[in-house]
Amino acid sequence: MSAITGAGSARPGGLLERIAWHWRHDPKLELWLALAAMVLFYNLYGIVFFLVANAQPPPDPAWELPRVQQWFNDNHYGLPIGFGIIFIVTFLTAACNALIAYSMRRMSVSPAFAYAYFIIYSFSAIPGMLLTCIALVVGAMRPDRDPELILWLYDLAFMAFDGTMGVFLVGTTIWMVAILLDKNRVFPKWFAYLNLCNAMTEVVVAPAWLFTDGVFAWDGAITWWIDMIVFVVYTGCFITLLRQMILREDFGSGPLPELPAAQAATS
Amino acid sequence: MPAGAPDSAMIRRLARPGPPEVCEIHYFVIILGAGRAAAGHDTAPQSRGPLRMDKTDGELILLWSVPGLLAIWGACFLLFPGFVQPMSPALTADEVAAFYRDPDNLARIRYSMILFNWFSVGLVPILALIAMHMRRMAHRTPILSYSFLGCVAGAPTLFLLANLFWLLAAYRPERDPALIQMFNDMAWVTFTSQVGFLVGQGVFLALAIYLDRQARPVFRPWVGHFNLAVAAALLPAAFVGLGLEYEALAWNGLLAFWVKNLAIAAWIAVMGLVLGQAIYTRRRAEAGLTA
Repeated sequence: MSAITGAGSARPGGLLERIAWHWRHDPKLELWLALAAMVLFYNLYGIVFFLVANAQPPPDPAWELPRVQQWFNDNHYGLPIGFGIIFIVTFLTAACNALIAYSMRRMSVSPAFAYAYFIIYSFSAIPGMLLTCIALVVGAMRPDRDPELILWLYDLAFMAFDGTMGVFLVGTTIWMVAILLDKNRVFPKWFAYLNLCNAMTEVVVAPAWLFTDGVFAWDGAITWWIDMIVFVVYTGCFITLLRQMILREDFGSGPLPELPAAQAATS
Repeated sequence: MPAGAPDSAMIRRLARPGPPEVCEIHYFVIILGAGRAAAGHDTAPQSRGPLRMDKTDGELILLWSVPGLLAIWGACFLLFPGFVQPMSPALTADEVAAFYRDPDNLARIRYSMILFNWFSVGLVPILALIAMHMRRMAHRTPILSYSFLGCVAGAPTLFLLANLFWLLAAYRPERDPALIQMFNDMAWVTFTSQVGFLVGQGVFLALAIYLDRQARPVFRPWVGHFNLAVAAALLPAAFVGLGLEYEALAWNGLLAFWVKNLAIAAWIAVMGLVLGQAIYTRRRAEAGLTA
């Protein structure tokens, strides 16, 4: 995996030996472990939400009651198994947030940026993801529950997921401002504007609170599809850029050195 | 100048350059001097006598909150009728409503959950102390202690959510039984399944201990192994949604209730002892250096 390659030169050959070498000698091990946690989390998140729980792309908010019940019944096992995995691996987000906070500590800006981002993102998982999963697990548990209550759990789940906006809006903006102000060249400036794109998705998602059908509903072309594409591109970019940051890290406090082309090619 | 504040000449005298320990001592003198001035004594710097007293950084107060907290949590646990004989998820809506409508149960549910609400964040100071010890480890970055702190914030918030649903279910027991059952389901699923941040605390602390490569590590390696074992014991509870199909995973089941909650209790007790040992060892070492 990419997260444990990249540092040092006297590494032994086999995969297990290389892992053991990194464990014992790699000065950037803490950073690589956090990046590995990030890669692992987003992979598991994608697999579980899209394939196991079948909760993404989201079902239709305009469905009639029997269809909603049918959806819960179809995913009677997928929801509790998939979200059981999510409940456990949620802690990996703490390492993701810590790594991003670290990227801001490495910048020339005040540590307040790192702390603000870290605190906002630390609790964002609860309304933005865990409450969704809890409501869907409870909904799937009793197929014989009053259909009106099943619908209430359905709305709670998907509106908590889409409707938790401010934490991501403000959190992403903090990262953007830090990157724009930074003189240590931790991230390229274009990534700051990609942060802005991600922040804007949290603005265009707001009409999901007003519509149960159409492009602005929680499964709509704008509210879900465009936002998800931006999010995937954004996540792919920051994972790649954080990897670059770790490769360039010199544990100093001045500008981050550029990556020598030769070292980049061998890593 | 407010009464009791050290005068500016004194501050200038004390603010001369010196090694960090000396600056810290000066700080203590200023505090002590201010205290004495308030009590009607003179404001001149005191002799070195009071400086030899034990450092009052409050860590011991936080540490000794653990037995008190365990006693309170134990009492809440015994007071809540849903824990003493854990409720089955197989109860019908009417049976769940009857549980909340029983006058004996209702008072105990409300009072135990109010107590839990008051003290559910009570472990946070201890976890913050552990994070402080992680910062003392021989790491190159603060990433592991940040990660640990991220988990510290999450776990009690989720417990409070479960607590809220239990209190809501008990708030109007005359409500439609289907609604009481749903609140009860939300409470139990949230309480039981939200082990992720607790698993994270164990994993991040274990990693931090393993990577604390110095002659005298803050915690010994077995503390890391213990944390991983506790984290593993918590995993099955995340699958409580399958409780109606698999008894052990039910919220009153062997794995999801007994193993999980006993593992948490064991973690608090063992980490309380280990933390106490680390704090007292360090204080003794510092006292030996300054004597």
